[in-house]
Amino acid sequence: MKNLENKKSPLMNPYLAGVFLGLTLLASFVFLGAGLGASGGIARIGAFMERWAFPAHVSLSEYFGRWGENPLRYYLVFMLAGVFAGGLFSAISKGRVLIKIEKGKKASIALRVALSFIGGIIVGFASRLAGGCTSGQALSGGAMLFSGSLIFLVCIFIGGYAAAWFLRRQWND
Amino acid sequence: MINSFYIQGIMNTGSGFALSIIIGFFFGLVLEKAGFGSSRRLAGIFYFREMTVLKVMFTAVVVACLGFGYLSGFGFVDMGNIYLMPTIYGAQIIGGLVFGVGFVMSGWCPGTAAVGLASGSIDALIFLIGAIVGSIIYSETFAFIKPIANWGDCGVSYVYNLTGMSRTSFSFIFTLIAIACFWFAEFVEKERIKEGFYLRGQFLKAFSFLLFVAAAGLFAFNGSDAKVNVAGKSLAAITPQARLNIAEEGKDHISPEELADMLIKGQKNLLVIDIRPESEYSNFHIRGALNISMSNLPEFLLPYKNKGDVVIYSNGMTHPAQARDVLLSENYMNVYILTDGLAGFKEQCLKPVSLRTEPVSDKKAMNINAWRKFFLTK
Repeated sequence: MKNLENKKSPLMNPYLAGVFLGLTLLASFVFLGAGLGASGGIARIGAFMERWAFPAHVSLSEYFGRWGENPLRYYLVFMLAGVFAGGLFSAISKGRVLIKIEKGKKASIALRVALSFIGGIIVGFASRLAGGCTSGQALSGGAMLFSGSLIFLVCIFIGGYAAAWFLRRQWND
Repeated sequence: MINSFYIQGIMNTGSGFALSIIIGFFFGLVLEKAGFGSSRRLAGIFYFREMTVLKVMFTAVVVACLGFGYLSGFGFVDMGNIYLMPTIYGAQIIGGLVFGVGFVMSGWCPGTAAVGLASGSIDALIFLIGAIVGSIIYSETFAFIKPIANWGDCGVSYVYNLTGMSRTSFSFIFTLIAIACFWFAEFVEKERIKEGFYLRGQFLKAFSFLLFVAAAGLFAFNGSDAKVNVAGKSLAAITPQARLNIAEEGKDHISPEELADMLIKGQKNLLVIDIRPESEYSNFHIRGALNISMSNLPEFLLPYKNKGDVVIYSNGMTHPAQARDVLLSENYMNVYILTDGLAGFKEQCLKPVSLRTEPVSDKKAMNINAWRKFFLTK
């Protein structure tokens, strides 16, 4: 899989990719007045869906309730759509679109699906608690040198490395 | 000076959405080109297999940090133009640790999963559904979580203030750390997967050198910074008599009308600070004002000491006056309080002509309408 990818279209130099990402972030700060973000858009979609199912309940909810009648009218929802579009454009142009479940050869699909889902729940929850994810807090807040954002970034790696050993099986070949 | 959508209050309008899509597009484009549409590659960093995440992320942080330093040095932007995220230590430490577990478990984070989905990864789709569920669970359990979510709230806090360094000095050291990390990452890849591609050739050497020069170049702007600080320190503490004189002459006040005009004209180097509780601030605040609690003022204002104008307001004048006194004793000579506070601002600038009992001249009526339009539209 990996070899195939490398042969077909080599990835961009990571440092140059970082420079472009940094310039995109800078443009976001200068023109939009806020950094990049992704989890905010996901949470808004969650609020929208829950409101659709239980409108009265969400209106009274202390957290989702403050996002008003239409939680999707929020800039990060549109940024998330843009991320998807940009990813799709690049993946198609480089011939990297392939329906797949990525995992180690020895890992079962069920294990990988379960870990993706539980990991998603954990990440969705933790992003709300920290007020952002790797994009909104670690990357954007880190570039602004906010104390909390940089500590969040360090803690992601502490948490990740602490759990990595227990979760290694899904990537084993 | 570039007025951001945030300061104009138009982030959540059609034009804000359009700009967000464009910025998001480039964000997604770069993530995909860097190879972040693959969960295996993302998880690789936690097994010291693939250090791409570290290289891309740290480069981006440093480039944006230095870039912002240059843009503010040239006067194109300032912090007042940007939404400043609060530091909440408890929430961000616990949130970070938990996030890290979820990251290595799934191999995704929210932004990269959107790109993964675009690349056809079913595990990215499952992750995103999980993240939506996780957000809903957070909202449902918010009553229990709230104490943690607010635990260690310090308002806006900059890491360089904690270390007692200037922004420039910290950015410089930060860049050196990044360069060291890049070489470490290449070394790890060489040891673990016999890669370390950038250890060979001249690229990483040239790149490291360029970052170093860019970070060092920021000190060119810092000259004026340093002078202000030195001047501030060499001033003898202002005597109580001098303080009373300033207060008596009303030199430390700014009228609501003056402030309104300055804000509409987009005056440079003007920082308006709302020291009321967050709930009141989110209900209504003067457009462009930042919400900083009184206890956080000294730390927050340090970079603005005797640079530009700082206007502090609350509902009335007691708290701002107390804050002004403390700051004056620290030789802040650029702190003003809003006459009659927010109540006065609403009365003088925002009360519609039709509700006023006093006669209003045509010119004043035009002003009032302009102020109402500027400060009351979202």
